[in-house]
Amino acid sequence: MKSYNKNKKAIEFSFTWLFAVIIGTAILVLAIYAATKILSTGGAETSAAAAKEIGVLLNPLETGFEAGVSTSLSLPTDTRIYNGCDNFSGFGKQQIQVAQKSFGRFSEPSVNVSFPNKYIFSNETEEGKKFLIFSKPFEFPFKVANLIYLTSSNEKYCFIDAPENIKSELSQLKQENLLVANCSTSPEFIMVCFDTGTSCDIEVRYNSGYLKKNGDRLRFATDALMYAAIFSGGGIYECQASRLMQRAEELSSIYIKKANLLQQKDCNSNLDLLSLLNSFRSYEDSSDLRLLSDKAEEIEVGNRVSSCRLW
Amino acid sequence: MIKKTLKLGQFKIQQMAFMLIAVVIFFALVGIFVLGYGLSGLKQTANLLEEQNAMLLVSKLANSPEFSCGEAFGVTRINCIDFDKVMMLKQDIKKYNDFWGVSNIEIRKTVGGEQETLCNLANYPNCNTLKLLEQASQGYDYSNFVSLCWKEKSTAEIIYDKCAVAKLIVRYKEKI
Repeated sequence: MKSYNKNKKAIEFSFTWLFAVIIGTAILVLAIYAATKILSTGGAETSAAAAKEIGVLLNPLETGFEAGVSTSLSLPTDTRIYNGCDNFSGFGKQQIQVAQKSFGRFSEPSVNVSFPNKYIFSNETEEGKKFLIFSKPFEFPFKVANLIYLTSSNEKYCFIDAPENIKSELSQLKQENLLVANCSTSPEFIMVCFDTGTSCDIEVRYNSGYLKKNGDRLRFATDALMYAAIFSGGGIYECQASRLMQRAEELSSIYIKKANLLQQKDCNSNLDLLSLLNSFRSYEDSSDLRLLSDKAEEIEVGNRVSSCRLW
Repeated sequence: MIKKTLKLGQFKIQQMAFMLIAVVIFFALVGIFVLGYGLSGLKQTANLLEEQNAMLLVSKLANSPEFSCGEAFGVTRINCIDFDKVMMLKQDIKKYNDFWGVSNIEIRKTVGGEQETLCNLANYPNCNTLKLLEQASQGYDYSNFVSLCWKEKSTAEIIYDKCAVAKLIVRYKEKI
């Protein structure tokens, strides 16, 4: 009888504790899960804010018609900037994602932050603490946009046998990772050769308007697009170029309407902007730039000598 | 004896269940409070970034291709808006709704004492306010002085360039 009672007490005690332990564990697991979620949401929030901030801080790089401007962007921790591009609908979108290093590893990329009015040319992923940025207006034949070139300070470019205008422009920029002299022997540089070398990372055929990079052949028109092709991955370059043509198409339409408005005041510009607009509309990839470039040049000359300049 | 022990066990389980419910409710309330606080901070950050965007944009918007004079009036002009061009932009403005990330863009000639006359194709250029982007929204305005130029025809049938001082105003949409 004694032992029976003892056993009963033992069962009652253990059941209560078992119940408490199971529920307690469940609560603890839930609390840890919630804390992890809150922490990761906080991290994502910081990265998203950083991505938006980068986009906003690029606003002052929108210049007038002066030469390129260089600036730097320093971040407190090692950061990866993911450059994305969407060329669907309207003017397409520039997308930026950021991942920051904490506790020795990079966080997941933040949500995509989009900017329809920006054109950033860089590799798909740029990594570092300091990023160097310069911009240049893209005129085709009228100003279409300011192109932004973003590179990590860890990447150093060496321009070999560059034409005088490119050399002087790069020298004036004074960007620490773009060198035009005394760099050809160092292995750490990304070699950009103009019309000469064949064992370079990037071979630019300046007068023929194309360059070879990682096996891709990218066609360019104007120096602004040449820099774009040098500093960006093939996918980004093609996508951004297509977005630029979408904007150029819309600008052509505005200039056609402006020409009609001025015609009512007997101010004639006599430019064949409609054919230019159609060429922008039928743009598919950078291989179309050659034909477009000829047309743009012809219209630019027409506008320059016109008694009623449109731009 | 067995009945009494079972009743005591049931009571203890019930007591513990109530306690656990109270603990869960307490943590849920703390969670809601933390989440609410975090979200309000997020909204504040978003508004601050929108404000910053509007502030930086207004100082450079006049130089963007859709607005800038370029060399249409002789020499290159900085912070100069081509009135003829923006009037035509107004016709296609729907395509630019989300383009600059602001809700309102307005150009106002700074002519003292005149009543506001909204610009349209019928009264252009004899008007003083052009509302380019108009979205009903709450937010703050940022403005910058610019020159506003257009081609004018004189009574002697001569085309000449005319410029006026104007204010470029942008408004960002505040997240409520």
